Amino acid sequence: MIWSEEARDGAIVAAPRGKIDESTAQDFGASLEGAVGRAADAAARLVIDCSGIDYMSSRGLRALTLAKRKADGSAVTIVLAAPNGVAREILAISRYDKLFGVTETVEAALTA
Amino acid sequence: MLVRFWGTRGSLAVAQTAGAIRGKIARALVAAGGRGFADTAEAEAFVDRELDFATGGTYGGATTCVEIEGGDGSFIVCDMGTGLREFGIDAFRRCAAGHERTYHFFMSHLHWDHIGGFPFFGPAFDPNAHIVIHSGHADAEQALRRQQEEISFPVAFDWLRAKIEFRTLAPGETYRIGGLDVEVMEQHHSHKSYGYRFTDDAGKTAIFSTDSEHKIDSMEGEADVAHFFRDADLVICDTMYSLADAVSMKEDWGHSSNIVAIDLCHEAEAKRLALFHHEPIYSDDDIQRMHQESIRYEELTRRETPLEVLCAYDGLEVRL
Ligand SMILES: [Zn+2]
Ligand SMILES: [Zn+2]
Repeated sequence: MIWSEEARDGAIVAAPRGKIDESTAQDFGASLEGAVGRAADAAARLVIDCSGIDYMSSRGLRALTLAKRKADGSAVTIVLAAPNGVAREILAISRYDKLFGVTETVEAALTA
Repeated sequence: MLVRFWGTRGSLAVAQTAGAIRGKIARALVAAGGRGFADTAEAEAFVDRELDFATGGTYGGATTCVEIEGGDGSFIVCDMGTGLREFGIDAFRRCAAGHERTYHFFMSHLHWDHIGGFPFFGPAFDPNAHIVIHSGHADAEQALRRQQEEISFPVAFDWLRAKIEFRTLAPGETYRIGGLDVEVMEQHHSHKSYGYRFTDDAGKTAIFSTDSEHKIDSMEGEADVAHFFRDADLVICDTMYSLADAVSMKEDWGHSSNIVAIDLCHEAEAKRLALFHHEPIYSDDDIQRMHQESIRYEELTRRETPLEVLCAYDGLEVRL
């Protein structure tokens, strides 16, 4: 899992790449938590550009929930943008598409 | 080893309604498309070949009870949910044909849906039966006695005729019981629950792990669970909720999800998973959909070894 992040149009856009499973979920969670902190400081939304995620197991999804709890506490909105077909299916099967806003593109997440 | 499911529902026993059966028959007639069948056998072959399980069958509605064959000839049974009543009837039939009258029970925990079948377990009235109740809980006897107190049930525990013993098992030990090696694992659940790992002399392994919540704030502990499941031929797992429900509204309700179970089985390199402890509000269609989605999630996240994802139903037999 490789993490990159930029501030863009009043949001923090984070772009994790690779597989997120039990071997990488801890890094993913720590990176997410840091990004939530920076989004809170900047009073910005946090957009996760999911296009580089090959797949995400329950560990990654649950790291998202932990991040969302922190985000909810500091009024930060997390949006999941541009998941590939596999990630989109996993979000549907886990019903995470009911817990998070999911958009087709990063641009849509910035304006949503 | 043979694993036979007598009860697979969680929390509360349910039954099919007239409306649900009507819907199944109507769908079957539409699927038959006007075809005629010479006899029942031909019609049954059509049901097996052409109808999906939620139309041609049912997952059943008895609460948790699973039998394992393959030990020393005594009965081995996990949990005493309402499925235990049917098991007891079948055990009488088998005892009449010469089966040994020793029963080894292994209790996940003592909530109603896991003990409610015991007052209706016929062999408890058999003076020649020997019933040994193994549990991680030291208060198993109290739970079983209490549910037969007069305020709850007309037949007192002391009126049972079988020789009944209680034995408390400790996690971390390997026991030799009923001709199987048995290991125990403590699980997260209200008043705790315990998982069991059974290995027969041929090296086949079945895991019984129900009513186990894999807490979101202690995910690092899941390596221990995967280790307990390691290389299992069958893992029977509580998959009551979707992951989203398990981490939000139903957090701390003590249950797990299909996708966490699949992840754990992948990590453990287990061969088969049986989805279990089905949500009582789910219809057969809902359970079937959950099963199909689970198979799909397994494909999407598969590593080298594929994991076969079964959906337990009352009456399912799995030979390992
Ligand atoms: Zn239960
Ligand atoms: Zn329970």
